[in-house]
Amino acid sequence: MSDRVYKIQLPIFLTALLGILMVLEHFFPMPDVVTNFNITTRSFVTIVSAAALMLGIIFLTIAHVRTISQKKSEWYYSIFFIVSLLITIGLGLIGIRNESFLWIYNNMTAPIGAALYSLTAFYITSAAYRVFRARNWSAAVLLVCGFIVLMMLIPIGAIIFPPVVPIGEWIRSFPSSAGFRGMIMGTSLGIMGLGVRVFTGRQKEHLGIREERAGGE
Amino acid sequence: MSIMDRLLNLDPRIIFVLMFIALAFPILNPVILPMAIQDYSQKAFDFSDSIPEGSIVLFEGGLNAATYPQGGPGMVVQIYHMLTKGVKIVLFSIGTEQNVWTMTAIETALDKLPAGTPAENGVNWVHLGYIAGGEAGVGSLVNDIRATVSADYFGTPIDDIPLLEGINDATAFSAVLWWGGSEASIGYGVRQVSVPFDIPMTGMCTTNEVPNFSPYISAGQLQGLFGGVRGSAEYEFLLSLPGPALGQAMATNFGGLLWMLLVILGNVLYFIQRMRGEA
Amino acid sequence: MDAEILGLIAGSLVSLGAYSVLIGDNPISRITENIYMGILGGYIFAVNWDFIRKNALSKVAEGEFVYIIAILLSLMLLGRLKAKYMWISRYPVVLTVGVGLGLAMRTTVMADFLGQIQATVLPLNSFNNIVMVIGTCLTAAYFIFTTQESGVYKYIHTGGRVFLLCAFGVTYGQTVSFRMELVIGRLVAMLDPRVSMITYAFLVIIVVILIYGYKTNKIEWYTGR
Repeated sequence: MSDRVYKIQLPIFLTALLGILMVLEHFFPMPDVVTNFNITTRSFVTIVSAAALMLGIIFLTIAHVRTISQKKSEWYYSIFFIVSLLITIGLGLIGIRNESFLWIYNNMTAPIGAALYSLTAFYITSAAYRVFRARNWSAAVLLVCGFIVLMMLIPIGAIIFPPVVPIGEWIRSFPSSAGFRGMIMGTSLGIMGLGVRVFTGRQKEHLGIREERAGGE
Repeated sequence: MSIMDRLLNLDPRIIFVLMFIALAFPILNPVILPMAIQDYSQKAFDFSDSIPEGSIVLFEGGLNAATYPQGGPGMVVQIYHMLTKGVKIVLFSIGTEQNVWTMTAIETALDKLPAGTPAENGVNWVHLGYIAGGEAGVGSLVNDIRATVSADYFGTPIDDIPLLEGINDATAFSAVLWWGGSEASIGYGVRQVSVPFDIPMTGMCTTNEVPNFSPYISAGQLQGLFGGVRGSAEYEFLLSLPGPALGQAMATNFGGLLWMLLVILGNVLYFIQRMRGEA
Repeated sequence: MDAEILGLIAGSLVSLGAYSVLIGDNPISRITENIYMGILGGYIFAVNWDFIRKNALSKVAEGEFVYIIAILLSLMLLGRLKAKYMWISRYPVVLTVGVGLGLAMRTTVMADFLGQIQATVLPLNSFNNIVMVIGTCLTAAYFIFTTQESGVYKYIHTGGRVFLLCAFGVTYGQTVSFRMELVIGRLVAMLDPRVSMITYAFLVIIVVILIYGYKTNKIEWYTGR
């Protein structure tokens, strides 16, 4: 069997088979063997997804270890990463409901994560001041809608200008909703188009094959 | 450098400090103002209130460390609301972090329950824990629970949980409550559970995601939606269960005002420059 | 000291460390970020390992040998570590992509496509309905790229753009509120009366360290963004 069969063609065929069986099961009555196969493959996906996340952490660790061993720029920060990773994994392997494990997560990761995630509030305000201008009609529409909706959301906005609440809710429920509806329909068509392309083997990016190297691996 | 030039080239760090003060001040000196209930929140509350006693609902807990302060109070109220109505809850999470915060919300809600409210783990509620795989994981869970998860959050085998006796897919659920936080996962619930199994659904998402899901609300696929901390505060108010969300919702006042003033100032300066031919 | 209070204090310290990046990249924020990545990475690793142990390894131990396939597929992911064996890792990817796409395709048709079209079929007897119908049609038409933007289509394109800008503007306004809510959530914990004085003390210490670092040029001061 040539390399190409089991490295490229068989994966493409299996992608299509698994996907098409999933789709057919939903629209047509299928024999029990197909239904049971689909139930099993769906549960396999959860296992493989969990393993993929673990693998991602392994790759990140390898990158940091390389940074330390090769003494790359600012390698000493990676020591903090490795030490905190090992301590957390050690405690987690004892038990994910271990008190120390949960304490570290709740009181170290959670606050830092919340703080990092919330940094954008400051950047968004600074950017709005420097860049958010009604330079043309497009920008004006964006600015006015955003302004009205924010004013609607903050309680003091309704006190400063009471009609902002019904106006904001109308904008959110009708013109904005119509806009998003068009986008959802477009996205849905995109998913279906992508599925057809992947199942017919015209798109192989999920296998790590780019179109310009389609002849090779 | 003129005043206008100084203002236009203001160091962003000054804006950061102003924003910090604007957000911290109302926390230290709370000011409570009247707040109208948004239509989406009212719809979500009315739907939740209409779930009959004895029903079993599927509940996705998707709040993480960053979004729990906003959505957590509301999620606690939702769990409290269901248990006090005699509705049973099957909870799960599709994120590793979210899994823990869901348990935190359950514990907080249980602490608030009036004495005598049936709230036994495995009988009135069960937390199935973390389900890997995102939308595929949800699809797997609602089509065959036992093939997807073998034990609950505490390690109790599924077959030993009285609430799940005879239940192996989503057909047993009367409603879906999806507290998706910032996961952008409400679409998973609509696509994998609500529409295929024809089960009505409501939930919560962070404030920024509400417009994304408004088409589902106007299409009737979602029965309202609680949005961010404001939604949580509104739910606390509607159920007359005071909590931390109201204070947080009020704290957005000064930050929002600062943002609006800065945008107005920036545009005024821009138009002055344009009139002078400098922009 | 109570674990909860200790936790609030630790949370305050690391939060301030994370927020210090607003002044400019500095060693305190870098250390905080690396500690965060390390703990979160360890947490994700441990929880997912627990999931696999409960839902694959335990099932095999109980006699459901079909889950050996799931474990083998998971191990095949390690093929990504070496370029020569990359092809081995394609098979678990095939499983997730095939099943995931199949699940998405089968449900998006009803929920996101037909369901939304059905919801758009409204009687044109009110202004709101007219806005909804016209807006949806124009926005959907905006995404058709096979027609040249000229003649009547130019107006259709512009109309679609108006509704999309409306949608993005609403999202922007909501996002600003969301971001502020995130900060408020963090500040509520940091300014908890039980630990607020300690938060202020940490703030003073960090400011002193940063001032020292910038004055002695040990930390680079960013003058423009």
